[in-house]
This record gives sequence, C-alpha cells and structure tokens, in this order.
Amino acid sequence: MLIFATSDKGGTGRSVTTSNITYRRALQGRDVCYLDFDFGSPTVGAIFSVNSALRGTTKGGLHSYLQGRIPEPQRLDVWSESDRNSLRNKPPGAGRLVLLPGDQGGGEFSSTPETVKRCVKLFLRLEEEFELCMVDLSAGRSYATEIALAATADPEMRMVRSRWLVFHRWTRQHIIAASGLVYGERGIIDIGAARGHDREALRNSIRFVRTAVVDPNSPELAGLRSTQVAWLRDCNTELQELASRYNVGRTVTLGSVPLDPVLQWREQLISDNDVWARQVANQETVQAFDELAKRLTDEQAWEGL
Amino acid sequence: MKIQPRQQLLEIWRATTRTSIQNGEWQWGGRDRSNSISDAEQLLCLLAPATEVAAFRLDRPDQTAEDVLGALRDFGDSVEIPRRIVRLLTEYMQRYTDESGTPVFSGGSYFVAPDPARPPTKEQLALDMVDSFSASVTLTLATIGFVRVFRTVVRRDDILAELAALESMASTRLTAAIIGLLRSFSIFVFDADSDEGRRLCRTVNQAGLPERRVLDELRESLREIRAGLRDVTIGVRRVEGLENPNRLFECGWSWGITKGAPQVETVEKIGEQREGVAQAAPYLYFTVLALDGIEDLFSERTRILGLLNDEQVRLSRLLQQRWDLTQQYWSTIASFGTGRWPLEDLPWQTTDGRESDYFSLLVTSVMVQDLPGRRASTADLGRVGLVLNELANRARITRRPFEKDPAVAMHSPGVAFELEGTEELGGPRLSWRASDFAPLLLRRATRIASLLPDTEARSRLLGLADQIWDHLVSRRIREGTARDLWDQPSGAFAGVAEHYQQASWYYTSRVVQCLVTAANIVGNRPLPSELLSGIAKDLLSEAEHLFDQELLGGSTEAGPAMRGTLQEIQTNLRRARTIISDRPGSAMVRVTEALLVLDRLAAAREDMGGAG
Repeated sequence: MLIFATSDKGGTGRSVTTSNITYRRALQGRDVCYLDFDFGSPTVGAIFSVNSALRGTTKGGLHSYLQGRIPEPQRLDVWSESDRNSLRNKPPGAGRLVLLPGDQGGGEFSSTPETVKRCVKLFLRLEEEFELCMVDLSAGRSYATEIALAATADPEMRMVRSRWLVFHRWTRQHIIAASGLVYGERGIIDIGAARGHDREALRNSIRFVRTAVVDPNSPELAGLRSTQVAWLRDCNTELQELASRYNVGRTVTLGSVPLDPVLQWREQLISDNDVWARQVANQETVQAFDELAKRLTDEQAWEGL
Repeated sequence: MKIQPRQQLLEIWRATTRTSIQNGEWQWGGRDRSNSISDAEQLLCLLAPATEVAAFRLDRPDQTAEDVLGALRDFGDSVEIPRRIVRLLTEYMQRYTDESGTPVFSGGSYFVAPDPARPPTKEQLALDMVDSFSASVTLTLATIGFVRVFRTVVRRDDILAELAALESMASTRLTAAIIGLLRSFSIFVFDADSDEGRRLCRTVNQAGLPERRVLDELRESLREIRAGLRDVTIGVRRVEGLENPNRLFECGWSWGITKGAPQVETVEKIGEQREGVAQAAPYLYFTVLALDGIEDLFSERTRILGLLNDEQVRLSRLLQQRWDLTQQYWSTIASFGTGRWPLEDLPWQTTDGRESDYFSLLVTSVMVQDLPGRRASTADLGRVGLVLNELANRARITRRPFEKDPAVAMHSPGVAFELEGTEELGGPRLSWRASDFAPLLLRRATRIASLLPDTEARSRLLGLADQIWDHLVSRRIREGTARDLWDQPSGAFAGVAEHYQQASWYYTSRVVQCLVTAANIVGNRPLPSELLSGIAKDLLSEAEHLFDQELLGGSTEAGPAMRGTLQEIQTNLRRARTIISDRPGSAMVRVTEALLVLDRLAAAREDMGGAG
C-alpha cells in the first residue's frame, strides 16, 4: 500500500511525524520504505540520522531517477546505515526499514509523462517488496503532488491501494488551509479528478492528522492557571466546530500527535530509549505514533460516514 | 444542587453499555426481561440525554465531547457510536413490528399474573399498553430528530439508505402510537349518588359543606371541561349521559385500547388497528404516562426540527385537546374549593375506592404539568412543594421506615393495580406494577423548583430534591456488570429481602429522565435575587461615584503606579456593570474589590491630613 503524506503549510511536522510512523510500523514487524518526495528540501537523512545523506544523497537519489539520469534510485537501510546508536542494529522482530532519499542539492522539477511513467515503475516495484511505502510530499500544491496523483491514476496502478494523510496543526489558519488543500480549487481532489481519479473514491482515501496538539484536559497543563485552562477549553470547542464546518472534523481524522518538546526542538525519531531510559520524550507521543501506524491499514478507521 | 447531572449521566452510560454489550453483542432486557416497553426504556437511557441535553449530543460526531465519547467506548469511536445506535434503533423497530407491518406495543413480561400456576395466555401478553405508546412517542421522536441531524454529516450511500429506512419505520411507529393513545383515552360517567359519585364528593368536599352545594359547585367548575369532552369523538366510543348535568365523570387514559374504541381514519399505512378490551375508565398511572409522552409531541424541539408530518400534526392536535382537558379536569379536582385542597388531604382516594400516597403523587404530577400553563402563583407552587415534601416523608424517603412499615411496599414490589378487561382474552385478570415513586417524586420536585421565582422556596425544594437523590443513590446496584444502575431497594430499606443482579430499565430510565430535567435546570441562567440585585446596584453607584471623584482629583497624572491601580478599578467596575443583571452576586464581589482599592487611597490621604 502507498501512503502519501502532505500538508498545506510548512512547519506542520509532516516529515518528522511521517518518519516516526514509518519507524513504528517497522518496529511492529512490517517491511516499510520511506520515499523523500519533498524535492525542494530533502531532509530525511537528518531525521533518521543517516549522515551520508543528511541533506540528500550524492550517489543518485530520487531526483536523478525520476528525471531519467539513473536506472535505480539509491536505497539506504536504516538499521545498518544510521549513525544513531538506538537505531543501529535491527531490533528483534522488526521489519525492514529502507529510505529512498532525494539528491543533495536537488530542486523542484515539473511533471512530464516520462517522469510519471518512471514513478509508476518505482511504485510497482516497491509495492512488491514492501507492505507499506510512505511517500513524503512537499508542502502545499506541488509538482510532487501532481506526479503522485498522476502516477496513482495510471491504469497499471489500479491494483495498488493508495491513501493520503494531510497533516495540519490544530489552529484556525491550519484547519482552513488543510481544508483548502484537499477540497479547494486546484486542491488534491480537483487535480486528482483532472488526472482521472474518481472524486468520491479519492475523497474517501484521504484522512487528516493533527500535529502539535495541546489537549486542554491533559495533566501536562498543570502549570497553567485555571482561567487559562477555561479559556483554552473554549478555544478547543470553537476549533472543533470550525474543523467540522470545513470537513476536517474528527470523523475524517486518523489521529493526533500531542505537542512534544523533543519533536519541537530536535526534529528526529523518538526511540523507546528517549521515552524510557532518557525520559526526554513523552510516552503519549510514542503511543500516538504507534496508534497511527496501526490505523494506516485498519479498515474500520477508513470506513468513514 | 448536590446532583451532578453530567457526571452521573456519563456513569450511567458507561454502566448501560457495560451491562448491555456482552461478547460484542447487544443484550435486550434486564431484570424484567425483554418487551416493547423495557427495550424502549433501555434505549432511552442512552437516547434521552443525547437528544435533550446539548452536551450529550451524538448526532454530530465531529463535535462530541471527549468524556462523552469515553463513556461510550464499548460502542467504538466517534464514527462507530452513532452507527451502532442507528443499528440498535433499527433492530428495535423491526423487533416490534409484526409480519403484517403493524407496530407492536405489547406489555409482555411486564404483566403480572395473580397466580403463578395460571400464567397469562399468549393473546394476553400481546396486548398493547399505554406505557408502550408513551415510551414509543418519546423514542421515535428522539430517533427522527437524531436521524435528521446525523444525516447531514453522512456521505456514504449505504448509511444514508439505512437512515432513510429507520426514519420511515420510526415515523410509522409514531403514527401508530399516536392513534393508540387516541383510542385508549376514556371518559367514565357515573351518577352522583353511586359509590364513585360519593367518593368523588368526599374527596372534593374538604370544607365539609352540604352535599348539594358541593355538587352544584363541582358541576359549575367542570362545565367547560364537560362541554369540551363532548367534542372528543375520534377513536373514542360514545358515552351515554355525559350531557346530563346531574351525572359526574372522569377522564384520562385507560391501560390500553378501550373496549369498542372505533378505528381512527388515517392516510398513513400503519397496519391493522386491533380491537381493544380495556375498561373504559381512566387509570391515574397511565394518565400520567400518557400526558408525559404527549408533551413531547408539542415540545419546542419537535416544533423547531419539524419532526411531525402533516398527518401526525393533525392527529396530535386531537391529542393535545385531550391533554388539555385531562389536565384541567385533574387540576380542578385536586385544588377544588377555597380552603384546603383535596390534594393536601393525603392519601388520595380514587373513585373505585383505593387509597395510596402513590395516587396523591400521580395527581400532583398532573397538576405540576399544568402549572406553567396556568401561570400558577408562587403560593400555589409553594403548596404543591409542601405536598411533595410530605409525600417524601410518608413514603420513607426522607424519614427512616419502622419495622414492617407498609410504606416500603410502595417502592418494592410497588403499587399493583388490576387491568380490567384483560380477562376477556381467556386467562386470569392481569395486573400492572408501578414502583417508580422516588424518581417520579424527584422529577416533579425539580420541575417545580425550576418554576419558583422565589429563591428561598426554591432552595428549600432543591434541598428536598437532594434528599431524594441521596435515597436513589442508596438504591443503586453495587456489584456485577449492572453496578451503578438501578434498582436495589434493599439498599435503602433493610426490610426488603430481594437482592437483584440485573438492572431494571423501567427504573433506570426514569432516573435518567430526572437527571435530564436536572441538567436542563443547571444549564439555565441562575435565578437572580432581587435583594442581591438591589445591593449590587447601590454598591456600584457608590463605587462609580468615588472613582469619578478620584479622576476629578487628577490622579491620572500621578505616574505609572497610580495609573495601574486606576485601570484595575475601572476594569472591575466595567465588568460589574456588564454582569449585574444576570449575576448580581459576582458583580458585587467585583465592586467590593474596586471599593477596597479606592478606600486604600482615601485612607492614605486622611493619614497625611492627620500628620499635617
């Protein structure tokens, strides 16, 4: 199955959340790969602490492949290439965790029929090898999104399931923007329909993920004054109403990730070590990732209303 | 109020799903097994709060509160919960519709046979009951409202089809229930010098007047009602002698469709209108139930959401007329005369010669429903409040029972009354048992409290409500899957030997109804006290005057410390002015805070004067 991750605005924590979900899925024993389609700024190496590809690879990444300069994009196995101790060595029971980075210094490029064809070929090959392919797209309406929509509409791909995650922060502006990215003019559904997707089916394969969410009822907010909490709860209710009006409500949300200092200050994977041994990250955050990783393929979560 | 409706209702929801869902399957029926009434009551435990209290709505899954979702976790997530409810409602509607498409309102396992050796026949168990008509009106209105709102957020065709099917079944059932209620209305006419007549005379004659005078006055005050009843013909068999002013009458609801009740013509397809066997005389218990159910038909919610179709509007107008007449009749009888009310003469005696405090409570219930319409005076409301207080004492809710106290039987096993006419289908004459004294009392007490404009009388009545609530809490089931539900009478009455494991939906749904009433009262604005209002206004005007003086003295020029202080005073005063009409108490605290700061400034200046 292909999972495309996108967001309307930058800074939603899309890449770091997607990476964490991928990592959790691998820990749950599944074979997964991660494709860095954020062509403007390849960063996946940094999140997974693969120093040889911190800002993209020099040995022929996705840019070179899609533009037809090389026959195969480079693959990096996280369990052996990562420079972080807690990521090195595959934990017992875990599945494969493979990265397909972009080129160092690569930039955005437009979509041509050839690019799309090469993309389809890559997806089909990866689909055979992996249970899940996570494709991290650039923020907003990008060429990467267009390539993805065109590739998934290709007749050769009709047997491959694909789903979309739209990340947004739990704020007024982000809710409206996320809704616009999906339902708005030249939004995902519009472009998808132009490329041959069925509107309803495409809409049903899109779910939202809320990031950096401050839960007004959480015990973590013990430091706030009661007046602040009272106000925060009202804001939260208002946001819920807004989200519902913009079709970004709970029923189309796959999950939410709480605000976590580790994610905020150092955009990286949260390992069990960070939670249990070093205690710098919160258990709730890891739980949220785990939950999201499971729900990606949980049919009930995608049934909808 | 000691009752915390939100927390309590959530606890009941958790318990209801816990005990009803076993191995992922919904289990109908509790202690009294499954029947059309008990199953409706079981569903209403979930649906009544969801439709009547804004915070508990489930029809907009995007906006449901987290704690509400948490309470229904056994159903699944926010998407799954409304779908499960839709499936349950559909199952209910199908379960109680027979092969010919006729909705079934049978009493089933709620019937009580006098002799265990002679069980009721199948035909008897299938008899339609007013209890079921009334519960169905409430349930189907809740269902239709739920579907209408939920439909707006659904896009999937299969779910939309499911909703359309449910709505149409609910609508059919609603029409059938309305017609059932029309056909079980009854007028009972008797001679003034019959046993019934003499009993009615005794009840209303609290001043000890000569019989002739009482009868004349009674006839006079019932004249309009008598005239109104003459127009009541649809679904009711013609009664002889109503025109004769020398005869007396009673009106209200019998236990089921009355014997010889004609069919009601309707354009709706509701299947067969069965023949009735019920005695054509009102039963107080079923009258109260019917009035409660009918009230939902013309509630604000029903009107705003437009839940009734044209035919149902036409039929419910007929019911409304009967509702008004019945209400007026019983209010007139209960408060007859100039001195002591017949209602205050406990216990109430029915015209067939039975006496019980439970009947007094039922008559009070009818009266209470009528009070807002009659714009009852505070004094009248206070008097009804005192009756409720007295009833709580006599029923051993606010007083301890003595050994072998007969009042306990009113709660457990409950007051039984024979259903005259059931024997016509072969088998024994069946009875019905009512054990809802405490929740009924609580519901009426909170309702009157919400009407009372006088804060003192109001808080006295709310105090009574708290005491009844304590009683109810002590009757909760304490262990097993049904824990936190009702009813375990031995928790309050040591003399009761029975120990129950399973929930009684009859009782629990009535407690839920009380909590819903309480939640709506708490949700309203607090009643402002005139005394507090007056003081707050005077305080505010003094404070504003002093503040103006301070400004006149040129304090604004006096640097940042003084500016900050003045700003604080001004903010407090402005806030006080905004809230003074709704919350005079809170406004007063704001003003006193401002006055304190102003006085500190004044005191400091005085000291300077003294030194100089």
